[in-house]
Amino acid sequence: MKRKHIQHLYWRIGFGITPTKLETLSKKSKEQVVNQLFKVSETITPLELDTTEFEALMVDSYEARKANRKKIQTLSRSKTKELNAAWIERLAKPKELLREKMTLFWANHFVCEDNNYIYTQQFHNTLRTHALGSFRDFVVAISKEAAMTKYLNTKQNKKQKPNENFARELMELFTLGVGNYTEQDIKESAKAFTGYGHNLEGEFKFRERLHDTGLKTFFDKTGHFKGDDIIDFILEKKQCAKYICGKIYRYFVNDTIDENHVNGMTEVFYADYNIENLMRFILLSDWFYEEKNIGTKIKSPIEFLVGLKTFVPVKFNNPKQLLYLQKVLGQILFNPPNVAGWKGGKNWIDSNTIVMRLKLPSILLNNAYISKIPSGKDDNMMAMQKARFEKGAGKRFKTESNWSYFNKQFKNVNINDLKHHILACPLSENASAYLDALNKTSKQEYCVQLMSLPEYQMC
Amino acid sequence: MDRRKFLKQSSLASSLFFVPSFVKAFEQVASKSLGYKRLVIIQLSGGNDGLNTVIPFQNDLYYKARPTIGLKSNKLIKLTDEVGLNNSLTPLKRLYDNGHLTIINNVGYPNPNRSHFRSMDIWQTAVDSNEYSQSGWIGRYLDSYGKQPHTAIEIDDSLSLAMKGETKNAMATQDANVLYKLSKDPYFKNIHKHQTDAHLSEHNLGYLYKSMIATQSSAKYIYETSKTVRSKKEYPNNAFGKQLKTTAQFINSGLETKVFYGSLNGFDTHTSQHNRQAKLLSTYAESIEAFVQDLKQNNMFKDTLILTFSEFGRRVNQNASSGTDHGTANNVFIIGDQLKKQGLYNNMANLNDLDANGDLKFEIDFRTIYATVLDKWLEVDDKKVLNKSFKHLDFI
Repeated sequence: MKRKHIQHLYWRIGFGITPTKLETLSKKSKEQVVNQLFKVSETITPLELDTTEFEALMVDSYEARKANRKKIQTLSRSKTKELNAAWIERLAKPKELLREKMTLFWANHFVCEDNNYIYTQQFHNTLRTHALGSFRDFVVAISKEAAMTKYLNTKQNKKQKPNENFARELMELFTLGVGNYTEQDIKESAKAFTGYGHNLEGEFKFRERLHDTGLKTFFDKTGHFKGDDIIDFILEKKQCAKYICGKIYRYFVNDTIDENHVNGMTEVFYADYNIENLMRFILLSDWFYEEKNIGTKIKSPIEFLVGLKTFVPVKFNNPKQLLYLQKVLGQILFNPPNVAGWKGGKNWIDSNTIVMRLKLPSILLNNAYISKIPSGKDDNMMAMQKARFEKGAGKRFKTESNWSYFNKQFKNVNINDLKHHILACPLSENASAYLDALNKTSKQEYCVQLMSLPEYQMC
Repeated sequence: MDRRKFLKQSSLASSLFFVPSFVKAFEQVASKSLGYKRLVIIQLSGGNDGLNTVIPFQNDLYYKARPTIGLKSNKLIKLTDEVGLNNSLTPLKRLYDNGHLTIINNVGYPNPNRSHFRSMDIWQTAVDSNEYSQSGWIGRYLDSYGKQPHTAIEIDDSLSLAMKGETKNAMATQDANVLYKLSKDPYFKNIHKHQTDAHLSEHNLGYLYKSMIATQSSAKYIYETSKTVRSKKEYPNNAFGKQLKTTAQFINSGLETKVFYGSLNGFDTHTSQHNRQAKLLSTYAESIEAFVQDLKQNNMFKDTLILTFSEFGRRVNQNASSGTDHGTANNVFIIGDQLKKQGLYNNMANLNDLDANGDLKFEIDFRTIYATVLDKWLEVDDKKVLNKSFKHLDFI
């Protein structure tokens, strides 16, 4: 497979690829590379933290639980922060790369958050479990997740007093897209989801006496429908397959939809709603590797951070700073703005985030120093300058960067070829001319220079 | 030569030659003299207890619902025969006496949500409570009317959803110098030195370059403009006081920013509410008074409007921990020099007519306030920003 295509593939289904790995894969065919991706992602490794502390707090008597509410919330807050850091670590060193990237994608599709850690972790792993499986099973599982029944109020959805929140977002955001159903459809389907709830452990409980067993008329069908039936009726609409394919296309292929390609994807997906089959179709297609799709997307803050770590492993000694970074970059995992999720694309970029993005690689990896020594000039001033920077802006973040890993991975790369590995898109003429006028002191300094470019924001 | 031509030519002659035309040379039309109107939004996060902020001290139902945390009539600042202010709000009373304060009661929205995140989200995005939006109301104002990133500034490290539009965003800064320093590394200048509009396509990479250039230009503009003014005014020594001090410095320097956004956190008073709320309210009122005085001294107050809101009020009945739980409708403060209806804008809530949760029923949709401010103060088409037509009120 062409090196350039492998790199493109890995920017999109991962966070970039190191030269050593690229070398190995370049000897294989496209089918082999893509098949290998799916093969590796057959297993599921849940992301779990030690939750024994919760056992004593989440007890069955209502009174005791009530008394513990505050403690559960406080503990949940700190555990969720821990899970945040663990997730980023996982993304940087994944076993099942494609599954992990898909999990990140689905987390911004089935958007949810909760103040109970146990339910947060469970929901998170449900995303991972179904990330490449049957979309039908996925939606059903999501509808029954404790965190989701809380987030979109299915828990409060009772026969006597229906709550339409979940029914509405199920169609508007999770399956069909706005405008593909009526208000009446929402009212009727909300009835089918009455009685949803969960026990203390977060297992789904169907509360029979709160369920509306009456007749519902939904999409011209009438019956004593339950929630699962509604999901089946929704999936019968081709619009559902089309909506999901559009979203996957914008995330993995291009911000701008190509109707032909999305229609092709829709045919594949509608046949069995199998996510793996759909992804395989995309990654094996020729159009996925077309020039207009390469290096033309703006990385999300998480793709940016994890991408950085993929080339130069960096450890945050103060976990609070990792959270702060997510905040200033505009994407805190487990803390979406609302159920509509992050808009993505150009919307990631504002005055603050662009400055942070350009400045961060040097701050995190190089004491905030970006080498500007002109070509042919001595670099003996550099050590002094770096030392000065180390005491200033470089002090802000407590990080340890592993440049020896980088040097090992890039050992066989000529310094002049570095840009083809670090950047997903070509250098603009200006940037290229400027960089050529600078002294290429070392691969490390050059890498930081490349990472401090707008071009580095692209994937 | 007329002034416009002169500006054009002098900028051509300067180094601005290399700045692409989309970063227009800032026309320093003396904004001070032209009545350049500015809006300052203050967000009280956590759900401020409106009933213990503006108190109906003649209402038995109030004391019945709040046997221990209800504020006694001799311990508050009386505004009228029936309504008093929390006695931490003495500075606010002075604004009230000078006709600088309008209190709008019972502000909320249909089908209220009692989650902090969601309700704040609704206030920031200004959509119905069963809709979700990925852009905020000030962000959408910027989409249509924003010229530069600094048209709206949030005094923080990052932007709230309120300040993010579909295509344009505000700028966040707590310290003009920090942002300026971050953006001015010569490296970033050199990579786009000879870049012109023609090079910068509308595609994503071009957009990144444009954003970078516009940010450098705005960060420099904010820093260089605001440093010309040093406030001599003393502010309370806390984060909120500092936010307002920075805001005043920006305004007094004549910065061409239409909207400022600040916030004060910690109003989620489920337990032992009394002292905590008192402390927060005095922080709020003292800082606001210093801010107003600072603006007045610089002749900028007449063109500044301050809007204070919280995501919800709290339950009428106190809870078992001498606190209050999440509620619904709340009061909104409008502070300014050109108020049409000063003092109490409308009646206090009817404590006899609560919803099923024991919460207040709202009377004024918060979006009618936004619409009024957009239309009458910022003088733009509010329907374009709110995507819907709302009634206009007559407080300004």
